Amino acid sequence: MKMPTLFATVASVMLAGSAFAADSDPIRIGVPVGLSGANSVVAPSVVQSAELAVEEINAAGGVLGRPLELVIADDASGAAGAQKAFDSLVFQKEVDVLISMETSAARNAGLPIVSRGKVPYIYTSFYEGRSCNPFLYVNAWVPEQQVPPIVDYLKGQGASKYFLIGSDYAFGRGMLEFARSYVESTGGEVVGEEYLPMDGSDWTAIISKLKASGAEALITSTAGGAPNVTLTKQLRGAGVDLPYANLAVDEGTAKSMGADAAGILISASYVTGIDSAENKAFLDAMAAKFGDELRTPNDLSVPEYEAVYLYKAAVEKAGSTDAKPVLDALDEVSFTGPRGTIQMSKQHHAPLTMYLGQVQEDGSVVVVESFKDVDPGEQCPNL
Amino acid sequence: MTLLLDIVTTAAVLFIVSAGLLAIFGVLKIVNFAHGAWLTVGAYCAVVVGGLGLNPWLALPVAFAAGAVLGGVTERLIVRPLYARPLDAILATWGLGIVIGQLVTLWFGRDVQFTESLLPGTIHVLGTSYSLYRIFALGAAVVIGLGFAFLLEGTRLGLSARAIIMNEALARALGLDTARIRLVTFMIGTGLTALAGVLLTPLTSVDPTMGVAWLIGSFMLVMVAGSSFGALAVACLLFGGAQVLVSTFISPILGGITVAVLCALVLRISSKGFARV
Repeated sequence: MKMPTLFATVASVMLAGSAFAADSDPIRIGVPVGLSGANSVVAPSVVQSAELAVEEINAAGGVLGRPLELVIADDASGAAGAQKAFDSLVFQKEVDVLISMETSAARNAGLPIVSRGKVPYIYTSFYEGRSCNPFLYVNAWVPEQQVPPIVDYLKGQGASKYFLIGSDYAFGRGMLEFARSYVESTGGEVVGEEYLPMDGSDWTAIISKLKASGAEALITSTAGGAPNVTLTKQLRGAGVDLPYANLAVDEGTAKSMGADAAGILISASYVTGIDSAENKAFLDAMAAKFGDELRTPNDLSVPEYEAVYLYKAAVEKAGSTDAKPVLDALDEVSFTGPRGTIQMSKQHHAPLTMYLGQVQEDGSVVVVESFKDVDPGEQCPNL
Repeated sequence: MTLLLDIVTTAAVLFIVSAGLLAIFGVLKIVNFAHGAWLTVGAYCAVVVGGLGLNPWLALPVAFAAGAVLGGVTERLIVRPLYARPLDAILATWGLGIVIGQLVTLWFGRDVQFTESLLPGTIHVLGTSYSLYRIFALGAAVVIGLGFAFLLEGTRLGLSARAIIMNEALARALGLDTARIRLVTFMIGTGLTALAGVLLTPLTSVDPTMGVAWLIGSFMLVMVAGSSFGALAVACLLFGGAQVLVSTFISPILGGITVAVLCALVLRISSKGFARV
């Protein structure tokens, strides 16, 4: 370490916590994210989103006159890696806030460290819901927001018998459990529900059951990436052409499936095809900043971009980066970004406009219908 | 009827995936744990061929050639010194599999890759509409099986290979160039495995770890089959069939472990498995 840097570090440590926290020191945003492991396909797009937000905010003068600085740490997409990443970000790097998309396992492992370190934490990944902590805010969707648009649309198309297929893990089963109860509450019938282990690659028997079941629509919730592609290829190979809603596919994966993905219905709070000035400006800025290196912005990366702006708004409203006032301000501020106007006002969760998209032959996603400000329901009634 | 088709086509896919491993194990008595990596290499040949805008079927010969050439290099540099130490060979090929997986990741990234479907659509057989490609896979398995039977029974190479299987010292004493025959056998095995990788692309996603899911199943089947392609076909039909039945009537989650459990049971009862068939 060079001497000036050492002095700066020592000085900032000595000043930390004092009322004089230097006026021009950067505000540090910790981003624990799965650069390795299961999330490694999507993590680079999340980091790019954060980088663009920080660059834009710094170019416009920063927050309270201070620049933002990203501190990125690999959580290896799991609990053990997350403990190290959170520990290092909170207690060694002494970040002012954590903003990140992570697996549920990583989030759950990190939360106790967040509580101990008393740092605001904005979680930007859709997840199974009901994670409650005074320091935690979520600006992405929960099942209550994602499933109903799909089932309502399929019902409108005349489907009443549904077949559910998933990967055998918490998120897959959780989503389909919610889907089943929602289908039944709207008068539909679930004629089959089948799971394969996450690393399973042979869906033959399940597909034969599906074909024999008389189902009128199919809803799947596999693990992202490989299992999703494998299932879809085998479905198409077997000639299944039922209305097919996929709770786990993103635009990038859809593209890699080519014509096999055509017709798939997806429900998301972000698709690149959203027709708004904010989204257009965002996509242009991303393309200009990253060029050939650009990872397609998606439902997991765009909330990261917006969360940085939400944090900025909260700090400005609070007038400081101290945890308590920032946390109090976080559910009062809003930001209009690529997904529309977001405010985490509902029990630390956000009502979101959900888009029902359909994958086209060329892999692009066209918005079929949008559902404005879908409520996340009762997530954390005690907060 | 669909059930019957499910059973024979599942067996066919298992046979295609395991054939290359059996070729190597049967003659060389080496378990090639880089088997999964060779499947992956084959599948990425399909990605490359597709990326160049060529006919997707061209991926079959390309993958066979690529698999054989890489297999030749591997045999010469890594496997050859380890024929007398089969346990070390397992370790070495396992490590090689990890290295190949990482190289594929470095080159193509972790993302799922796009491949053109070889035979889309369905066909009417036995009164039901069924995946055309799975029917084709059945044919491909038969061709591979018969091809191997011919290679072993009808050619000079096969005769030499059988001599090596029976008594290697004697074969060498009779003037057979055993090192060369081993090299050729290894190359055929890896080439065939890469070819199987291409044949898998319409059925599974193509990503750097795709081969791993198939490794254990084919390993167990080959252990049961010993060095006989006939025994492998029987094992695939029986255990693949059991897998389909368990998946259909009990639970697909249990179906996923059926092959491994049954193979372990068979080996417990008879250490030679089906090798006498």
